[in-house]
Amino acid sequence: MATTSVGSIDFPQSKASGLRFADRRKLFLVALALPAVIYVVLVALWPLAQGIWYSFFDYNLLRGGGRRTFVGLANYAELWTDSTARRALVNTFIFTFAAVTIEFVFGLCLALLLWREGRFNRICLAFLLIPVTITPVVVGLIFRALLAVDYGFFGYYLAEWGISGPRGFLASTTAAMPVVILIDVWEWTPLVALILLAGLKSLPGDILEAASADGATAVQRFRLVVLPLLLPTVFLALVLRVMDAFRVFDTIFVTTGGGPGDTTNSLMVYGVKQGLQFFNIGFASAIGNVMILCIVVLCAAFTLLIRRADVRANER
Amino acid sequence: MSTASLLKLGVAGLVSMGVAGSALAADKPLAGITLNLASQNDQFAPVIAKLAPKFEEATGATVKVDILDYGSLLTKTQADFVGHTKSYDLVTMDIVWAGQYADNKYTVDLTDWIKRDAAEMKLDDIYPSTIKYIGQYDGKQVAFPFAGYAAVLAYRKDLLEAAGLKVPETAEEFVETAIKLTNPDKKQYGFVANGQKGPAVAQDWLQYNSQLGGSVLDASGKPAINSEANINSLKIYKELFDKAAPPGAVDYDWGGREESFRQGIAAMMETWSVGAPGYYDPSMSKIVDHVAITTTPGAKGMPVKYGLGGWGMGINADIDPAQQEAAWQFIKWLTSPEIQKEFNMEGAGSYIRKSTLADPDLNKKFPYLPVIAKSFENADGDYRPRIPQYPEIQDLLGTAVNAVLVGGVEPKAALDEVQEKAAKLF
Repeated sequence: MATTSVGSIDFPQSKASGLRFADRRKLFLVALALPAVIYVVLVALWPLAQGIWYSFFDYNLLRGGGRRTFVGLANYAELWTDSTARRALVNTFIFTFAAVTIEFVFGLCLALLLWREGRFNRICLAFLLIPVTITPVVVGLIFRALLAVDYGFFGYYLAEWGISGPRGFLASTTAAMPVVILIDVWEWTPLVALILLAGLKSLPGDILEAASADGATAVQRFRLVVLPLLLPTVFLALVLRVMDAFRVFDTIFVTTGGGPGDTTNSLMVYGVKQGLQFFNIGFASAIGNVMILCIVVLCAAFTLLIRRADVRANER
Repeated sequence: MSTASLLKLGVAGLVSMGVAGSALAADKPLAGITLNLASQNDQFAPVIAKLAPKFEEATGATVKVDILDYGSLLTKTQADFVGHTKSYDLVTMDIVWAGQYADNKYTVDLTDWIKRDAAEMKLDDIYPSTIKYIGQYDGKQVAFPFAGYAAVLAYRKDLLEAAGLKVPETAEEFVETAIKLTNPDKKQYGFVANGQKGPAVAQDWLQYNSQLGGSVLDASGKPAINSEANINSLKIYKELFDKAAPPGAVDYDWGGREESFRQGIAAMMETWSVGAPGYYDPSMSKIVDHVAITTTPGAKGMPVKYGLGGWGMGINADIDPAQQEAAWQFIKWLTSPEIQKEFNMEGAGSYIRKSTLADPDLNKKFPYLPVIAKSFENADGDYRPRIPQYPEIQDLLGTAVNAVLVGGVEPKAALDEVQEKAAKLF
């Protein structure tokens, strides 16, 4: 049997493991990663592949004994011609754009306000995080109760004073969407603020001090030093929120159910209805795939924009 | 004691245990069987759970009742049927699911069993309309009725008297009376119905639509959703919401609607008879002494018919025959005259038998039972078509009618869009 000497000790080396150290290390690393890889394949890739596969079939579990008929891209064409799906797609974009923009602006303001160390700021931060800790379904139910015109703490008076109209904001075709956006903003702005605050706290103090010493004003320091250095954190916050806002479901489901009419119907609400209420698996899969595609495109666009901004900042 | 004596004693003990065991088995033929029942969270559900130990006492079979809301019941039972997972032996089936159940053979066809046990079940005592509509579809009996509901008109005697108005007997009178009884300054409204997007508004509108002469399907069974009669009835429904309903009603589901009536905000409401016990319960109602119930008013010149709804119980077709037989025993037990009386004395509000509706004790407790009996005799359980496509049609209507009520969409445009989409389902 071959032996390997380490110092004065001889370690036996079997023929079977006659691999080089580098190969064995690679194998070891692969073995370490294997459970995670298997998990991702089983939980993410396999369902994703199945979802793509099903989207090419007319496959309704409640009809025709759940038979599958290949229909090519018909489900995607249906998504385009179906006025409800089109409205849901537009609503989802409006919701995502408005909610994430407002959350980012408010979140940045809050992060800048809380940047300085201090007991007051720490206490504020703790309170600020309360909305994030509440599950979205409960947030939706709370707002629904608050805005109810018959008994809601706000809804009753808003209707009495003629601000919301007699039927309340959630039953108004013009106000329902702003209200669900507002609910999302209330819940998720603190998270954006927290992420940005973490980014601000990790900025190198010497650069900021140097900028101050050079006589830069607060606005100049923010525009030319803080913002460029904060870009990776901004990217993280935006991507997280865009992904989350695009698949909004709970809040809308419990507050408006996608109504009144279809004014707040989102792609996820529509997809869940098709998949879990009508068991229309082919069409629901197509909706899901379009959602994934939209999220990937949006996130790729963010990556490009941030990278370009980063390059431009470095050139300066 | 000698070893031989001990042995004799042991043998005697075993023999006596065996005899006792076989006697027990004869007394309780279903001992050891457990039946899992998925039940809608209606008034009958806690009563079934309460009475289930009596069935165990009588037969030996344990019944576990899983009480679910409408959406969860639909999703969980469909997943059970589609995946053949046999999680439930018995399921409560809404009247409108019959088409889907029959189409997909989810449950056992009970036709032969009903014929076999007709005498034992006293079938003549059960309203034929409940058997026909709650579970019969395409020649199959996919569920057996145990909870029939009649669409009834609940109204406030005091408000009608004070206004010098009589109880409306036609749909036209109903609209007039509802508007006359409305005074928003006093927070008093003449009418309340479901306006919330989804099944809530769709089901309530279909009830009024039927009374006003509308219909979802034409004579050939194809969608006729944008018919003149339907457009007209939707206009009337919107007029009622605009002129006679509490402003929040556009977002009411069944709970909100019933609550507004019990709290005395609305003077008239068409509803399922199952909610009626609540109006007479002082712990939850402010109108105990002023409420009355009558049959629903239909349009002038229309044949007399009253909406029928309710729940049947189906047996999962995937479970083994012995389990199916035990499940059938449970259905027979639950729908027997004795248990139906007890079931309703406990407040289930669910009727299928003539003898139950005529029972003096029940009539003393619930004075409106003759109204239900009259409705069952002229029942229409098809105004919400019990076809496989019904869930999708209901969803389309639920969005369209709500859009009309909140404004911005004209009844004709809304129903045209529903018609176009519904036609694709056939």
